Amino acid sequence: MAWITKNSGTMQIERRTEPYLTDEMKRDLEAKVVVRYPTRRASTLPCLHAVQEKYNYIPHQAIEEIGAFLGLPASEVLDTCTFYEMFFTQPRGKYVVWVCQSISCELLGHEKLMHGLEEKLGILPGETTPDGKITLMHAECLGACGGAPCALVSETMHENLTAENLERIIDSLP
Amino acid sequence: MPLLEPVLCKRIPTAPWGDPRDRKYVNYEAFVATGGYAGLKKALAMEPKAVIEVVKASELRGRGGAGFPAGMKWSFLPPEDGKRRFLTVNADESEPGTFKDRMLLDFDPHLMLEGIAICMHACRLDTAYIYIRGEYHAQAATLQRAIDEAYANKIFGAGSMLGQINGRDAECFMHRGAGAYICGEETGLLESLEGKRGWPRIKPPFPAVAGAFGRPTIINNVETLAIVGPILDRGADWFKTMGKGRAEGVPPTVPASFGPKLFGISGHVNTPGVFEENLGIKCSELIEKYGGGMRGGKKFKAAIPGGISMGVLGTDQYHAELDFDIGRKYAVLGLGTAGVVVMDEDTDMVKALRNMIRFYAHESCGQCTPCREGTGWLSKMLHRIEAGDGTTRDLDLLSEIAGSMGAMPGTTICGLADGANWAVRTMLNKFWGDFEKRVRKERFVSLSVVGAR
Repeated sequence: MAWITKNSGTMQIERRTEPYLTDEMKRDLEAKVVVRYPTRRASTLPCLHAVQEKYNYIPHQAIEEIGAFLGLPASEVLDTCTFYEMFFTQPRGKYVVWVCQSISCELLGHEKLMHGLEEKLGILPGETTPDGKITLMHAECLGACGGAPCALVSETMHENLTAENLERIIDSLP
Repeated sequence: MPLLEPVLCKRIPTAPWGDPRDRKYVNYEAFVATGGYAGLKKALAMEPKAVIEVVKASELRGRGGAGFPAGMKWSFLPPEDGKRRFLTVNADESEPGTFKDRMLLDFDPHLMLEGIAICMHACRLDTAYIYIRGEYHAQAATLQRAIDEAYANKIFGAGSMLGQINGRDAECFMHRGAGAYICGEETGLLESLEGKRGWPRIKPPFPAVAGAFGRPTIINNVETLAIVGPILDRGADWFKTMGKGRAEGVPPTVPASFGPKLFGISGHVNTPGVFEENLGIKCSELIEKYGGGMRGGKKFKAAIPGGISMGVLGTDQYHAELDFDIGRKYAVLGLGTAGVVVMDEDTDMVKALRNMIRFYAHESCGQCTPCREGTGWLSKMLHRIEAGDGTTRDLDLLSEIAGSMGAMPGTTICGLADGANWAVRTMLNKFWGDFEKRVRKERFVSLSVVGAR
């Protein structure tokens, strides 16, 4: 839900001396992304994507750095970041399994997939396995209704799933 | 009359013209060899205004859901003032039941790029942004490959065949979203493009006057732009031989449903998928001819005509004609995206409605109170009714809440709550018996846990 936010008034941000947004990334973004838009602010989403791609989540320090890079208050970057479901501000698993729960997938039995995974991994949707390998997530329509039920395993779409072959896919992850 | 030849699926093997297993990415060379970019060449030889006239004459209506005439949208732009103007392409396909644009992006993105170039020429737009949803990873990679090919072949970029527009080189960029349904709403998309939360804007001003970055902006769906190339290539009259025209005696000011359309069939059918057909095809024909009939030989119970926001077709509306007139004739909101979700006789309608409303409660952006609170309230009530703890009063309350939120009663900025409203209303009206069976007459304290999943 996009509009649930955490009380961050007393939150302590973990910091490290080395910046998350490295000079190399900045150069790259400046040359390839920032020039595309009339305002610097429009590069917020591409910057967040770039950070998440590199670190697998978006640390709060990186949000401040993106703000400084784009000339925005960190709060505005955080505001944008927390709106979108795909941005994780907490560390997540190496793989994220998004199981679609919208109408076509539910008609064709997404519940079996979800229950199968919950039992197999011992976690509920939104949680990560203790070894940090897999994060399980509910997803709204993934746009593969023709192959329902479907699931997105990190960046790969799997269609026409059954509980068994989804488990096989999970097992085969390196 | 069935469609004689595939238009949007010309290069994408689709039943009955080809085997979907033979589908592969159509690169620039293959696209040009099969007549691609011919429409663009013809458009470039014409005055920009004349191109808009052709699109207007074709009476092409937007394929993204609202069905607004595309040519009219293009002509709403204010006169040029030498400053920047934008095109944003809505590839944020998130409506449950809709998966047509994914096919175009996967296999034939050049068809859309051709339409983008034509639109930029006709409306004098210097930069195009393709807003693709974040979950489409593979599609984003394919699209980027196609854009790179187009740049290499001088469709866009410095020294391109579009030349200088507003004193700049014509550019086309991809912008990835990050998982928010509301960014498919046109002004929500603009906010997201500008790097903010995807909160829809109050209209007016309309995007054609003040859109992306405060400048005039055209927003079109992927499929709308994909059909523009063939229209320019073969003419508006050819386009109007397909689809469904007006009934006799209807004045030409009433918009009709010309042209082919991609229909996505999913749910309880044997062969789900995306198919191309004339607008005006019967729902029953679509299911039997393309969907391979009902799964397991079961009986038809209900269908969603085009994304869950449009409401449902009842059991007696099996033969409903799928065109832009469907809303008035069959008491649904409209054709929407033509993603048809079919439900068989065993479907639990309470559960189906609970699923739809849970979607809205989850995806409401939280900007307007009636939508934020209303969808959540509906969702909780439907969870309760599904668990067997509802009362008859709840059913009245459902329609009351649903009917008082949305842009049509005038309580919200965008149409997300209208989608929830129509889903609830059509479900209750057409399947009242199913709901009545699940509730009790007496009141008692509910002990069920609500909203755990």
